[in-house]
Amino acid sequence: MFKVPALGHGIGLRTEHYADVLATPADPIDVDWFEVISDNFMEPGGNPRRVLRAVRERWPVVLHGVSLSLGAVDPLNERYLDALAALAHEVEPAIVSDHLCWGSHGGAYAHDLLPLPFTEEALAHVAARVLRVQDRLKRQILVENVSSYVAFTQSTMTEWQFLEALGARTDCGLLLDVNNVFVSAHNHGFDARAFIDSVPVDRVGQFHLAGHSQLGALLLDTHDHPVRDEVWALYRHAVARFGAVPTLIEWDDKLPSLTRVVEESTRARGVAAEALASSARATGVATRREPPRAPR
Amino acid sequence: MPRADGPALAELQRRFFELVTAPEGVATELAARGLPTSALAAIIAGDARATAVERLDVYANMYFFRILDVLRADYPKLLAVVGDDAFHDLATDYLRAHPSRHPSLRFVGAALPAFVARHALCLERPWLAELAALEWARVDVFDRADAAPLAREDLAVLAPADFATLVLAPVPACALVPATWTIEETWRAVEDGGAPGPPARADAGHAVLVWRAGVTVRHRAVAATERRALELLLARTSFGALCAALGDEVESEEAAARRAAQWLGQWLADELLARA
Repeated sequence: MFKVPALGHGIGLRTEHYADVLATPADPIDVDWFEVISDNFMEPGGNPRRVLRAVRERWPVVLHGVSLSLGAVDPLNERYLDALAALAHEVEPAIVSDHLCWGSHGGAYAHDLLPLPFTEEALAHVAARVLRVQDRLKRQILVENVSSYVAFTQSTMTEWQFLEALGARTDCGLLLDVNNVFVSAHNHGFDARAFIDSVPVDRVGQFHLAGHSQLGALLLDTHDHPVRDEVWALYRHAVARFGAVPTLIEWDDKLPSLTRVVEESTRARGVAAEALASSARATGVATRREPPRAPR
Repeated sequence: MPRADGPALAELQRRFFELVTAPEGVATELAARGLPTSALAAIIAGDARATAVERLDVYANMYFFRILDVLRADYPKLLAVVGDDAFHDLATDYLRAHPSRHPSLRFVGAALPAFVARHALCLERPWLAELAALEWARVDVFDRADAAPLAREDLAVLAPADFATLVLAPVPACALVPATWTIEETWRAVEDGGAPGPPARADAGHAVLVWRAGVTVRHRAVAATERRALELLLARTSFGALCAALGDEVESEEAAARRAAQWLGQWLADELLARA
């Protein structure tokens, strides 16, 4: 199982917001934590590290990577892993995560989150690499489901069966990206709620929420919109199942002001509280509750 | 759940990667290999929403445009000079020759200056490669290791005799870009919103010094003698040896010492030197 840290609601730290984040010591930003893209902070100096240090002094930080390439047949990039370990040592993040995907082949990088076939061969391969990463980092990691646009004919299990088995084999946690579930469900014609309902409750350590866009008949995980109503509904459903799990708003392209992104996080806080209250009413049992908010 | 035999994971990833990184898109690449588009159906499920080719093309487009965006951000002046279309074609050619070899997009443009030097774009505008080199140096010093700058007071405690053996260290976030054209003027003209003409030929030994002071990336042109001094500085030559070496290039040893002292003052003001 994965012991869920009581973090609350966070947003992604983005370059365009650095100045606003650092400039408001007297008027705290209404978020509980920041997620940073690990890859953007691996070089040793300059403004990125300065900002990260300043943010870490005021908030919990979680490290979210995009390049571990857990599913690639290329050898695990040990230099990248060393750099991640060094960053984690310095930042002491509440969570370290990356994706269920691959991104390199023959030493070349696509800089994308490419999908895997859900086969026993892929499962054994990814599991061995997750174990190696956890061994090197000396901690559990969270593995995130990605949005995908292709499904492989050779898959012998569903994505959620794959994730469940990965958790069981490696004791890693899962980062459940609710928007990615919605996008992939649309693109491949499966039931998003069936996905959510099949993921083991004790594995999910973080939620992601983001906006997506439409390309023809497909949905793309573009992080360039507010969270869509259908994804809010799915989030409500996920909170009812998993309880108070740290929730992040991801917004990358067409990035609005810091205030607007924080508003989206505040909305997530409200939706989660509502979902927790109604699920407690329905069952008579309180699910994992929101942590008390620390005064700042 | 569909169940079908398929290629082993390694083979699947090889085929997938080759198709999504192909410069002209998935359908063109399949045709170039003499494969019908239906060949993909053995691997990827298409349906009424989108065919297998359309689905794979989503990844092919994201691959190219994500990296193009990074190159545009890393080389804004080169982009402004050559224009969107030529830059797009340059990026296509570049990626074909230099697929990204580092997990971070931070390094994806590292080989572009050398590539531009051999590219057709440089036939009429040979200075484009040097402009690109200046832009890359600015990207490269942006997040290199920090160092506390050496201050004038740090040197005030030294006796005059100590200067002969003093080894000064430049900050790690520092680079010297040799230039045969005054590309710093082109950079400045674009920065100021102008449409620059071709730069002038630079004097022999011209270079652009690029460094980071605090979190601010800076650059300035240096003439031949200061460039030589900076090269010695980068090679960790003692201040005494640096003055002696320059003595051969200027009128006398005293003049060399005077000039080195002036540069030392300038370098301190620039925050170019690191505290040991």
